Amino acid sequence: MKAMHGRPAEYGAVFKYVLLLPAVLWVVAFTFAPLIFVIRYSFANYVLGMGITGYIGLQNYADVLASDRFWHSIMVTAIYVAVSVPVEVVLGFIAAWLVNLGAPWARGFRTIIGMPLFTMEVAIGYLGVTLFSSQGGLVTAVLELAGIEVPWLSTPSGGIAAAILLDIWRWTSFVFIIVLAGLSSISSDLYDAAILDARNHWQVMWRLGIPLAWPVTTIAILLRIIEGLKVFAIPYALTTGGPGTSTEVFSAMDYLTTVQFFNFGQGSAMGIIFLIMVAALITVFFKQMRKRLG
Amino acid sequence: MTKILWLRASLISKVVVYTLLALAAVITLLPFLWASINSIKTSTATFEPHAFIPFLNFEPTLDSWRNVLSDPQAINAFISSVVVSVGTTVFALILGVPAAYALARFQFPIRSGDIALWFLSQRVLPPAVVLVPFYLLMVSLRLVDTWIGLILCYSAFNLAFAVVIMRDIFRDVSTEIEDAAKVEGATPWQIFWKISLPLSVDGLIVTAVLVFAFTWNEALFASALTSQSATTFSALVLASRSTRGVDFNIAAVNTLIGIVPPVILYFFVQRYLARGLSFGAVKG
Amino acid sequence: MPSGGDVEKLEHLVHGYLKGKIGRREFVLGGLQLGLSLAVLTRLTAPARAANLVESAPEVPYESPITKERIDFLKTKPFKGTTINVMVLKATVGDGLKYHVPHWEEETGGKVNVAEVPIETLHQQIFSDLASGLGRYDTYMTGAWFYGDFFVPETPYIIEIDSFLADPRYPYWDPDQWLPSMRKLYEWNGKLYGVLFDGDAQALYFRKDIFADGQNNEKFKAKYGYELPSPPKTMKELHDAAEFFTGWDWNKDGGNDWGLALHAKVNEQGFFHFLSLSAPYVISPDNKYYFFNPQNMKPLINSEGHLRALEDYIKLAGAGPREEISWTLGQGWNLFLAGHSAMEPTWGDLPTLAQDPKTSKVKGKVGAAGIPGTTEAFNPITGQWKKYEFNQVGNSNGGSWHCVISRNSKKREATYDFLAFMANKKNAFFNSANGWTGVQPGMKFEYLPPVGTASLDEFKAQNWDPDDVVEYLKGYYSVLSAPVQEEYLRIPGTAEYWHELDVNISAVLGGQMQPKAALDATAAAWEKITERYGREKQKALYQASFA
Repeated sequence: MKAMHGRPAEYGAVFKYVLLLPAVLWVVAFTFAPLIFVIRYSFANYVLGMGITGYIGLQNYADVLASDRFWHSIMVTAIYVAVSVPVEVVLGFIAAWLVNLGAPWARGFRTIIGMPLFTMEVAIGYLGVTLFSSQGGLVTAVLELAGIEVPWLSTPSGGIAAAILLDIWRWTSFVFIIVLAGLSSISSDLYDAAILDARNHWQVMWRLGIPLAWPVTTIAILLRIIEGLKVFAIPYALTTGGPGTSTEVFSAMDYLTTVQFFNFGQGSAMGIIFLIMVAALITVFFKQMRKRLG
Repeated sequence: MTKILWLRASLISKVVVYTLLALAAVITLLPFLWASINSIKTSTATFEPHAFIPFLNFEPTLDSWRNVLSDPQAINAFISSVVVSVGTTVFALILGVPAAYALARFQFPIRSGDIALWFLSQRVLPPAVVLVPFYLLMVSLRLVDTWIGLILCYSAFNLAFAVVIMRDIFRDVSTEIEDAAKVEGATPWQIFWKISLPLSVDGLIVTAVLVFAFTWNEALFASALTSQSATTFSALVLASRSTRGVDFNIAAVNTLIGIVPPVILYFFVQRYLARGLSFGAVKG
Repeated sequence: MPSGGDVEKLEHLVHGYLKGKIGRREFVLGGLQLGLSLAVLTRLTAPARAANLVESAPEVPYESPITKERIDFLKTKPFKGTTINVMVLKATVGDGLKYHVPHWEEETGGKVNVAEVPIETLHQQIFSDLASGLGRYDTYMTGAWFYGDFFVPETPYIIEIDSFLADPRYPYWDPDQWLPSMRKLYEWNGKLYGVLFDGDAQALYFRKDIFADGQNNEKFKAKYGYELPSPPKTMKELHDAAEFFTGWDWNKDGGNDWGLALHAKVNEQGFFHFLSLSAPYVISPDNKYYFFNPQNMKPLINSEGHLRALEDYIKLAGAGPREEISWTLGQGWNLFLAGHSAMEPTWGDLPTLAQDPKTSKVKGKVGAAGIPGTTEAFNPITGQWKKYEFNQVGNSNGGSWHCVISRNSKKREATYDFLAFMANKKNAFFNSANGWTGVQPGMKFEYLPPVGTASLDEFKAQNWDPDDVVEYLKGYYSVLSAPVQEEYLRIPGTAEYWHELDVNISAVLGGQMQPKAALDATAAAWEKITERYGREKQKALYQASFA
């Protein structure tokens, strides 16, 4: 009763921590505590069967930073995200806008277009091999009809392009679902008003739809960037990084180094460097986002 | 939905809209169709040129379906996936929803938006790196190759979604009723449990579906933290790669089987999606 | 040597042991007291064991031959209530192992729990289980290149099996039946660790019918000035034949065909092609080192010999479709099985798969031979090229998948019993004759006379074309028994060393790297790996892996 009559700041003073703390502790225990191990390994020489054979200072970091393969994987990942995320956002937004127009059977389209989000990425990567293969691949055959021959899986650019196409197919649905939710929560009064002012559809979309759905969209973009930078399953299942290491994304390289070859030292250093780069990127992105929101 | 735009659209616009939607639907469905076709081929036929139409181009066979459905490992993995995904969803919500509510309703020394961001920041960790300490943690807890081990791990990763999404949803719920309840003398817990939560049930369902879908999809941790009894379906799909390469007909069957549970869920909850997933960001 | 009285004691000991009156522990202790090493004891009992063998016993239908002690031992259902945990490769070889499980369970009363792990994660799963001390598995199916990793710790992760072999209560199998090149892969430092299962090697498979065709011969002769060699024996002949059969419709089905099939997708074992095909450029009667200089562990991989081999390898890759670079093993096989490729250097699975009319158009047309040789080889240790009349090199490239017993196992006896059960002649022969088990022959008895005791009828019963099986076993045997053998890398980190070679070769085939640069990059990466593991340690283990 006291809390009720007290100032708002006091209300639930203990209760709020009871609600929040378990989640905080959970995240600390299961993600940030392991990070301490990662930092320790990053300064160590680790050998399977012997464990840490010695601490070697910044050697692992120096090795990673001097590795062409590392920078190449960063570049591939950057290209991957820079191409796939914008396309996903644009396509997802357009699809959401069209479905949100409320045409008859729109619900049916909503169901279908959202479906890829519920597939397994690994499976899509494998399916991609049979889509883009030059031996009986569906996409290859369709393009052949148009007289176009693309060496999808035997060249670096073809491999990345194929992986990006699959990624777009898989993840556009995510943007679609989130943006659709944003659009549909715009009150229809606003549309009524907008449509009187606007000369055509496009103006309604530009003046009303995009500004109002933008905050939701930025969340979708942020999540897509974060998840996209960690991309592993689709490109790895499709090309295993080849030819050579030309289509190897960062997560694949890190996976091979750390998990397959038990090189915890360098794998950890790699992870920390990556973490710093992504954190910087996300911080910049968030500042921009806040400005726009603000 | 905004019927007004549709009603005022010209015939040409309507034709264009339907054409685009139909195109999107076809592109979305084509890979599923292709997976179905692959699933009734032999493994050699998956690489035969122009093998598109069953009976006409190639002799269909149900061998790969039989192969998967009679494989106890596949069935076991399917059950594992369901248990782990449901368990993770429940656990992530139990931990995440109260935290989200606290962040939405109360003041903290740190801005609640920053705390939410902190939750999200752990999604940035490259999975391959945290995998190793995680494995060691599971070893010391004796939880390698168990459902519980996977649930603990996944719930930590997906907590971020639960917190970020639910926080916005709670912020969107009007506080008038809560204020009224306060005056009536309800405890903070009662307000949370009996008022705010029921009002946010749409968002809860949506969050659950997303967490379920993300968990269902995860293969990297699953393949490292399990070897037999708790292997999930996505880890099994990752394992379609044998010494001679991937048997794509089997992979196709797995693609189709693997999509069933989350899509069923999606069918049931999609009407909540629109209301639940606005992230509270759109007012009006 | 033991004195006169000791000899009597020893006789008593061996006799008593073989009759089952003296337990193994007692026997070993007694023998040690007499100053004999375990290895000697093992050898002492082997012939006596053989004397106690019978061809078969009606009450033990799944083993042949079998010792009398074994028959008695089984009457007690010795492993009732014991469950052993086995981690196997999820592949045909894993299926092969699973086939024997119910039989062994029926015989001994034990239970076998099999976990199937894909090749992608098998190494990681095995060593996670070992290095973390978790020890959930009693035995692992290992690839031969995992061996070095088992011997990094002071106490190796796996246990030797000589003492079990000496005990006649366990299923009978004879390691002396191994082809020497294969036996090496089951041993470390002269001691036996692995129990017989698979024996891999790469041979050259070719289309007998196409090579024997008179018209083809005429055309070939007109172009190259000599008779179409069937099969090609030297690298030059291989190259000419591969080029000759590329780009025209020799199988008359309306589409162009190819000279030689390869698969070269990264992380899909494609580099084994290069290992096998490059061997005669470097390995010779004068040099057995392919990977490292044993004196200082400096990589040899960027030597002139390796370079020439790689340049030739690129040309060979031109005798197949361009997409080979993204092909997995199965895709490479498909090209040959569908009748579109005249040759393929690969594992013994190919002729086996060729017997299935559902997937193969080449049944009865498959020839087999050793990997072609050279007339000049580079010795990377001395840095000299040397001419040879004909330098052909055998290999045991591949997984040679088999089980080893974990040092953490608390059920070693039951585990060994199960593994030896599958190594028993009857079961081992079943494995090698049945293609679906993925097991290739590594024991002499698995070959046709005069080498072994297999009979054509047994293969015919498994739907083998008799010509194909004769060719296959002849070719396979010639690879494994060749006097000059390519070394097999078994030091710690082999998977990583090979991976570096794999991606660099793939980059060359993909046109992103020049051969010399790729091999130099490989050598530099290998140096890094060696540094990490410790050069001295690696050197010692490298030398041990040869012993």
